[in-house]
Amino acid sequence: MSSPQATGADAQATGADAQATGADARATGAEASVRDPAVPATGRPRVLLAPVTITPTKPLTPSHLKGLFWTDVALRASRPLAEVTHRSSHTAFDACEQTLGFWEYLDRTVGDVDYSGLSGDVIGELYMRFRAAGERAPFHACLPYLEAIERHGWVHPASARLLELWAGQYHRLGLHDPGLTAHQPPRIGLAEMIDRLRRLGMCLDLRADGGPVFLDATRDGIPLRQIIAADGRPNYLACALRDLLPLAPEHDEVVLLHDRDLEPDYLLLHRVLAGLGPRVHRITLGRVPIDGRVTSARHGGWQQHGAEALLDEFGDRHDPAALRLGLRLYFIAVLGPGDHDSFRPELLDRYLAKARRLLDAAPDAGWSAVRDGLDAHRGAGAAHVDPYRLTAGLLNRRRAAPARELLTEVYT
Amino acid sequence: MTLTQRLLHDHAARRIIRARPELAQVRDLSTVDGLTAVQQDAGDEDTAVVAVVRRFDLVSWVRGTVAFAAGLNRRRAQEWRRAFTRTVFLAGNPANLTTRFDFAHVAETGAMAWTAPASAAAHRPLRRLLRTFPGTRDLTLGGDVVIDLPGEPPAEPMRRVLHLAGSGLTVAGALVHLGHLLVEAVLDGAISPGDRLTVRQLPRLVGVPGPFDALRVGVDPADPDRLHALMSVSREAGDD
Repeated sequence: MSSPQATGADAQATGADAQATGADARATGAEASVRDPAVPATGRPRVLLAPVTITPTKPLTPSHLKGLFWTDVALRASRPLAEVTHRSSHTAFDACEQTLGFWEYLDRTVGDVDYSGLSGDVIGELYMRFRAAGERAPFHACLPYLEAIERHGWVHPASARLLELWAGQYHRLGLHDPGLTAHQPPRIGLAEMIDRLRRLGMCLDLRADGGPVFLDATRDGIPLRQIIAADGRPNYLACALRDLLPLAPEHDEVVLLHDRDLEPDYLLLHRVLAGLGPRVHRITLGRVPIDGRVTSARHGGWQQHGAEALLDEFGDRHDPAALRLGLRLYFIAVLGPGDHDSFRPELLDRYLAKARRLLDAAPDAGWSAVRDGLDAHRGAGAAHVDPYRLTAGLLNRRRAAPARELLTEVYT
Repeated sequence: MTLTQRLLHDHAARRIIRARPELAQVRDLSTVDGLTAVQQDAGDEDTAVVAVVRRFDLVSWVRGTVAFAAGLNRRRAQEWRRAFTRTVFLAGNPANLTTRFDFAHVAETGAMAWTAPASAAAHRPLRRLLRTFPGTRDLTLGGDVVIDLPGEPPAEPMRRVLHLAGSGLTVAGALVHLGHLLVEAVLDGAISPGDRLTVRQLPRLVGVPGPFDALRVGVDPADPDRLHALMSVSREAGDD
């Protein structure tokens, strides 16, 4: 006796408990004992620095800024030692449902308006309204947007406006622009991405039976993770895989930088990319609490302390070099990788002042000494420089004052 | 002989009496409500099989299910029977799981695998890794599908017809109902290894001639007081 509607729906697998250990330094063997494994036998190591890409749907918050400063110091400090590719393509991630859904929502609820003069705050308010509405447009409504991205590199004018504002803020903050407003499509399509995963034995494709596509690392004891919904909607992880699968094999090392709450997904990404050859390192960062609370950007958080607000508050009182160094001291060395300390503007102000003192006292050390210093701050078995160790070292009173060349090259 | 409400009722009641005679005594099996209530009562028995499915393929599924059921030992089969051969269908790739989990049977294609019957607690590690198999698409066969069941065929293998009521049958539904039907038919000796099975899809099984070696009976979605046949196994005409 059985109801004809029965589908075995009791088979609800429990939630992800994806704790996997990723051996960071995988190179071993006799060769490694006489040669640094992070440095290829010929030429400089090739490093792919791929931070999580911030979707252009809201202004930059302190948590975003933290990731950007960590990335920037990792990039600029590693460049003297390695060929570093900074990959953060908005084109690759515009296809994720968070962005597509926002665009569809704007056009349905706001309509044809001129976004080019809007402030980031106004666009951010619209994003908060979209998230608060809790609507999830059917995928067929989002499909024209996906096709426009794929065919024409189209960007919705609300996001284009935000990216334009970000580019100006990056410039003032001394951040390397990875091509915020450039069209940088991933090299492969979704079908090719799925095919490559299948060749790695890491794809469970249920589309023929009306189901989704999963990233399958169950052989390592990690639960299935959906990457494409049954209706064809790719998620953030699918976008990351599509972007990084073709790039990873061309590098000796991949450095992934991500929020702590994305750790299960990045452990998976780590595992997939490591299977393609390169060493993979992850830099995991906690968000920046505001008044003791860690919130997602969907709830705001940029109004008081976002990039624009910080530049307004501190930009006139501190010279550009002190501003850039001081922000990096604060967001990297003071806040650290965790999420224990709330954002404190008065403490930031003190570090901006301290930055000016460090700049004033910086001796000329000569470039080769600086290069050796950077080399000493590489992680174990890594070709890239650890931004936390390097920056925290600047505040160590027992060490010699940081050299002018180092501050110029990496921090200002 | 053809399908009647009486015949469907008798089949449903016989299934209950065979699996849980003690439950059959405390319910009024002459009503649809009574038959359905036994299903709830059977929730005290948490023995189940986990079937892992990478891709649904009818021939592979039928052959694998029969081979799996034929290979079960009597004690385990009896425990499973008490839970009405409860089966959990999970999406997964058996090839990625065989180093961590023991399967009682893996299909020849590698696309499906079955665990031995075990408690819910024993299945927890496997269920934690996988997700429910969705199977939302409609099952459409196109034409008759002839399947030689695995195993050593007897001197004169039996030719049987497995009728499916195709109206609204999804892949997920086919997994559930076909699974129960085939497994219990093997355990009852109603179909045997080496038999030749022709799977035929009809809108409804009304008018299909009996006698029936096996029947899968459900509550008719059009009327909760009525039963209908979802699947049946009978001998092919002329194969006596």
